[in-house]
Amino acid sequence: MAIHKLEVLVENEPGVLARIAGLFARRTYNIDSLVVGPTENSKISKMIIEVSVEGHSLEQVIAQLDKLINVIRIEEILEGAISNTKHDTQPDYQN
Amino acid sequence: MAHVPTANGTAMTGATSLVKSLEASGVDVMFGIPGGAILPAYDPIYDSTIRHILVRHEQGAGHAATGYAQVTGRAGVCIATSGPGATNLVTPLADAAMDSVPLVAITGQVPSLAIGTDAFQEADIRGITMPFTKHNFLVTNPDEIPRVIAEAFHIATSGRPGPVLVDIAKDALQKQTSYDWPTSINLAGYKPQTKPNQGAINDAAALIAQSAKPIFYVGGGVIKANATRELLELVQLLGAPVVTTLMARGAFPDSHPLHLGMPGMHGTVAAVTGLQKADLLITLGARFDDRVTGKLSTFAPNAKVIHADIDPAEIGKNRYADVAVIGDLRETIEALIPALTATLAKGRADISPWLQSVNKLKATYPLGYDTPADGALSPQLVIERLGKICGPDTIFAAGVGQHQMWASQFISYEKPRTWLNSGGAGTMGYAVPAAMGAKVGAPDTTVWAIDGDGCFQMTNQELVTCALNNIPIKVAIINNESLGMVRQWQTLFYDSRYSNTSLDSKRVPNFPMLAEAMGCIGLSCENPADVDATIEKAMSINDQPVVVDFRVHRDAMVWPMVAAGTSNDEIMIARATAPDWDSQEL
Repeated sequence: MAIHKLEVLVENEPGVLARIAGLFARRTYNIDSLVVGPTENSKISKMIIEVSVEGHSLEQVIAQLDKLINVIRIEEILEGAISNTKHDTQPDYQN
Repeated sequence: MAHVPTANGTAMTGATSLVKSLEASGVDVMFGIPGGAILPAYDPIYDSTIRHILVRHEQGAGHAATGYAQVTGRAGVCIATSGPGATNLVTPLADAAMDSVPLVAITGQVPSLAIGTDAFQEADIRGITMPFTKHNFLVTNPDEIPRVIAEAFHIATSGRPGPVLVDIAKDALQKQTSYDWPTSINLAGYKPQTKPNQGAINDAAALIAQSAKPIFYVGGGVIKANATRELLELVQLLGAPVVTTLMARGAFPDSHPLHLGMPGMHGTVAAVTGLQKADLLITLGARFDDRVTGKLSTFAPNAKVIHADIDPAEIGKNRYADVAVIGDLRETIEALIPALTATLAKGRADISPWLQSVNKLKATYPLGYDTPADGALSPQLVIERLGKICGPDTIFAAGVGQHQMWASQFISYEKPRTWLNSGGAGTMGYAVPAAMGAKVGAPDTTVWAIDGDGCFQMTNQELVTCALNNIPIKVAIINNESLGMVRQWQTLFYDSRYSNTSLDSKRVPNFPMLAEAMGCIGLSCENPADVDATIEKAMSINDQPVVVDFRVHRDAMVWPMVAAGTSNDEIMIARATAPDWDSQEL
């Protein structure tokens, strides 16, 4: 089971944490850890979510997260990598 | 009455701002019930150009808004008060989410200072509906009302449509505000991709041209995208067979020779087997639902998959896509037609043996049913005659269960938006209120609800609404005095132990009398010889709702059937009877 670290930019609105936590719970994704903090823009918060992907592809977790209207951008943080993998709000999943 | 826009900066209450915003969104009708928290909004509704239809239960308002949306393609609107009013909308919202219906629900909330105190009629409806709304809002500042309403309609109707709930605190409705309708909508996290990627279109065209056994797997998205004409053109271009899912009935004419029917648990042998044996699924606005795939690991084992959908999260959710095309389906098909024309011109696989095989299946295993020896009325006969007599312009709204499957199987759908049902959620009680909403959206069209005796007893109170508001729908109750589909499963899988599925609805209630009590015409029919005359009588009444109690025999079963959790290869055409595969070459 692989753990992936996602940096998620969200609109700083009431209920956003509940939307994200609820999505993970109802789609049976596992959150290993979750940190929420402010950004330079007071209207935007940043979440760092560590997710254990088992039985679901990472792409599917990201795609479902991305459907939340308050989620602006999702980026996978690759430890030790020079640049992160960007996932736009509307990724084109070309297989 | 034409809508006169209100100038920005006009002073008014939050309630008036809400109603002006709904008018500015193009709302012409809404379904609802007032109550304490939403009461301030009902005062300006009294003066509005919007027709408000006072229903008898909020669930009826929600399904009516869905029926309206399914028929018109526009957002349906329902409105309720806080607490129980709002929670009664939960089922229709879940239903609309599963079937991608554009819906906007407005609910009153307790005053903002009382939120979180377990106040009278308080319910956290935003929290409750998070899992099955596309998005929802809680408004406590009246200045936000126009922007939130504009965003709600934008989100509900764009991309993959869905329900949006706007919960508004009572004090936000009461306070003074300045009306400010937004000139543009900018949601940082919501920009649906409608234009398909040309590279993906070319890849799809190449796969199609190489395929010797292609099949179109058509879902409800084709109807949502208003892409049925384009679909017909694409199908004619390739000449490959087509299946239409429960949500897509009417997306492609049933009378077309390339149509194999509905796939899935109660699909035709040709449609189910066509998917199983294909080497390419051209998937358009469908989502590989378990009722279609059967046991997923054995579904269409030799097929590559082209998956075109507006929702990126559907790609690869249940089945790997060899080529994914994300975008609006009409734009997708419009782009695919020239690309495929060019590719086919360079050469293509011969699909004629494949067509012969599926046509042989279609001819060998047509849908059918047995007529009981004792002369009792067959439910399938009633539904088949309804379709024949009423014709392809009629809108049919079904409940959930055996009658729903028969209505999907035995009526020939030729046009989109003539078949409404609760496909994803399977909501018993959908039919009567959805038919009401459909009739409001298409007042010049005949609308029949085909309902079961169990379903009908869940939401029939909306016939009062129909009778009082000049909404003359027609209801065919397929009365087998049972929860028929559950009973069928008990027959097949629980040794005919009929635990709690007998409703005794041929004794109580007396449906024609119940209909008359609600201001409708009540008819009854028990003899096969009287079916046509009864339907014709119902068709001749256009100034009142009509309810017909079709008293059918209770042992009819829905066939074919793929039992839940089994492979589509194990389709049964009757009890313990598989198709004769040895005589088929696929």
